[in-house]
Amino acid sequence: MRSTRILSSALLVFFFAFTSLAIALTEEEKNNIDLYERLAPGVVNITSTVMEHDFFLNVIPRKGTGSGSIIDSRGFILTNNHVIGNGKLEVTLADGKKYTAGLMGSDPDTDLAVLKIDAPKESLTVIPMGDSASLKVGQKAMAIGNPFGLGQTLTTGVVSSVGRTMRSENGTLVEDIIQTDASINPGNSGGPLIDSSGKLIGITTAIFSPTGASVGIGFAIPIDTAKRIVDDLIEKGYYSYPFLGATMMNLFPDIAEVLRLPVKAGAMVVETTPGGPADKAGVRGGSRRAQIGNNIISVGGDVVVSVNEVQVPDADTVIREIRKLHPGDKIQLGIVRWDGTSGTLTVTLGEKPRGVRARQP
Amino acid sequence: MYLNFSFGAKGLWAAISILLVFILGVYSSASALTAEEVLTIKAYEKVAPSVVNLTTQVCEAEFFYCATPSITGSGSGVVLREDGLIITNSHVVSGAQTIRVVLSDGRRLEARITASDPDDDLAVIKVDVGDKPLRAIALGDSDSLRVGQRVLAVGNPFGLGQTLTSGVISMTDRTIRDNETVLKNLIQTDAPINPGNSGGALINLDGELVGLCTAILSPTGSSIRIGFALPVKRIKAAAPELMHPWHKITGWVVVILLAAWFLRRIYRNPSRHYDMG
Repeated sequence: MRSTRILSSALLVFFFAFTSLAIALTEEEKNNIDLYERLAPGVVNITSTVMEHDFFLNVIPRKGTGSGSIIDSRGFILTNNHVIGNGKLEVTLADGKKYTAGLMGSDPDTDLAVLKIDAPKESLTVIPMGDSASLKVGQKAMAIGNPFGLGQTLTTGVVSSVGRTMRSENGTLVEDIIQTDASINPGNSGGPLIDSSGKLIGITTAIFSPTGASVGIGFAIPIDTAKRIVDDLIEKGYYSYPFLGATMMNLFPDIAEVLRLPVKAGAMVVETTPGGPADKAGVRGGSRRAQIGNNIISVGGDVVVSVNEVQVPDADTVIREIRKLHPGDKIQLGIVRWDGTSGTLTVTLGEKPRGVRARQP
Repeated sequence: MYLNFSFGAKGLWAAISILLVFILGVYSSASALTAEEVLTIKAYEKVAPSVVNLTTQVCEAEFFYCATPSITGSGSGVVLREDGLIITNSHVVSGAQTIRVVLSDGRRLEARITASDPDDDLAVIKVDVGDKPLRAIALGDSDSLRVGQRVLAVGNPFGLGQTLTSGVISMTDRTIRDNETVLKNLIQTDAPINPGNSGGALINLDGELVGLCTAILSPTGSSIRIGFALPVKRIKAAAPELMHPWHKITGWVVVILLAAWFLRRIYRNPSRHYDMG
C-alpha cells in the first residue's frame, strides 16, 4: 500500500516535471533550437588574410572575416565573393578545427564563391539546399553567421520581401533578392539564410544601412541563383554569362517625350563594345550629348523595344531576358531608330569577358 | 472465428497504417511552415494591398535658378476608404508640392492633401482611383494590446519598396517629446521601423490595423528597434473630422455671419438713435 503510494507520487512528480519541461518552450522556440542545433555545425567562419605593407614597409597581415555554408560532403563551401577577397583563406569549422581552404571558383556578378577544404567526412555537416522560388513574405528566416567576428551567432526574423534587385560590387544586376529583418551585420556575409524546415534559402550578402550595422534591412542572394552557378564554379571555376556588348539606359516615358522619340519606353543603347556581338550585328550606340535636367546623357542610339518578341520596358528587362540564354545563342532584338524606322536585328551572344581570380585548389 | 478475427485485425492495421502515412504526409507538407508563419503570411497578404508607398517631391531653384525636381522624401500610407482616402503622417506630406502614391498593384497616382492635423501627426490624402477601388484596411482595437504580443510593420523603409518587419509590442502608452510636438499614448515596438516607414501600418496577427508607425528613437536616425506608433484609437477619433473637414469652412462661415450682423448694427443704429433722440 505504502509502496504504491510512493510509486504513484513519484510518477506524478515525473509527469509534472516532464510536462512543465515540454510546455516551457513554444513550438516556435523548439523549431529555432532544433534548427540551430542541427545546422550550426554546417556554418563555418572564413578568414581571409592579406599581407600589406605599412608606412615603414613592414609586412602586416590584415584579416577579413565572413561566414560560409557547407553544401557538399566533399568539403565544398558556399560563400560570398567579397568575403574571400585576394587573401590566403582559412576556414574554421564550428567545432574549432581550422583548415586551409582552396578556391574552386568565384563569380563576382552574383557575388558567390565556392571553397574546398580537405576535412574528414564525419566532421562535415551539409546544409541541404531548399527552393527560393516558393518563398512567401512573412515566413521565418534565420541567419547563422559570424557578425563582427564575434563567433557563431543565430538571428531570426521574417522574409520582408522577395524579388528585389540589387547591384553587385562590379555593377551587375542581381535579381530576386530576398529581404529579411533578421539582424545581419558585417561578418554575416556568406552565411546561410535558413527557412523553418532547415533548408538553405539564401546567402546573406548585403545590408541597407546608413550606419554600417543592422537596421533590420538585410539582403540575401536566392539559393535558386546559387544552384544555377555552383556546379559550374566547381567544374570550371567560373560561370560563363551571355554577352551582348551594349550599355543601355532606361528610357522612361518622360525622357522619351523630351527627346521626341517615336516610342514610349524601352532600353536606349548608350554605347556598344567595339567588335562585340551587338556591334557586329549593327546595333548603334549614342552619337550626341543632351542635357535633361542636371543629367547629361548620350543620345542617338537605337532603342531596344523587344527581345525575342518579349516587350522590354526598361534596360533591366533586357538583361533579364538575355540571362536566360547561353553564349552562342541567337536573339532577335526589336529596335526603333531615331529617324523613326524600326526593325529586327539578329545578334549572336558572346561570352562575357572575365576578370576573375584564378582557381587555386 | 480466430482466423476471421485476425484478418479483421490485419485489415484494421492496414487501414490505420495507411491513415497514419496519409496523416504524416499531410502533416509533413503542412509542417514546412510553422503555425506562427502561416499566421504571419496570412496577415501580410490581407493588409499588403491596403498599404501604399508615398514619394513626395519639392521643386527647388538651384544655384543658377534652374528649377530641378528633387525627390525629398518617401513614406507610407494606409487606405482608410475604398474610394481612395489614405491616412499617413502629417510630417510625411507637409510642404510637399507633389505627392505620388504607388499602390501595391503598381499603379502610380497623384494625391492631394485633404486634411492635416500636425498636433496628432496625422494627415489624410486622396487619390482618384478611377473604376478600380482600393482595399480598405480593417481597423483593430489598440486598447486591448498587451506587451509581448506579436505585431507586424508594413511600410516603405528608405523608399526600398513594400517591406514587412516583425516584432513584439515593447510597451504601450508611451509619451515622446520632439522639440515641436508632444505625442502621447504611443505604442512602442521592436519591429524594425526606419525612415520611410512613417505613415505605414502596424498590424496584429489578425491583419487589423492597431497603429500608424510614426517615430523612432535612435542616435543614428535608423532603426535600433525602438519604434513608436500612433494607436488606432487616435485615428478612429480623428478620422471623421479629417475625412470631412467642415471645421475649416465653419470658422469662416461664423466670421462672415458675425461681420454681417455687426455691419448691420453699425448701419442701422445711428438712424434709430437719431429717431429716439
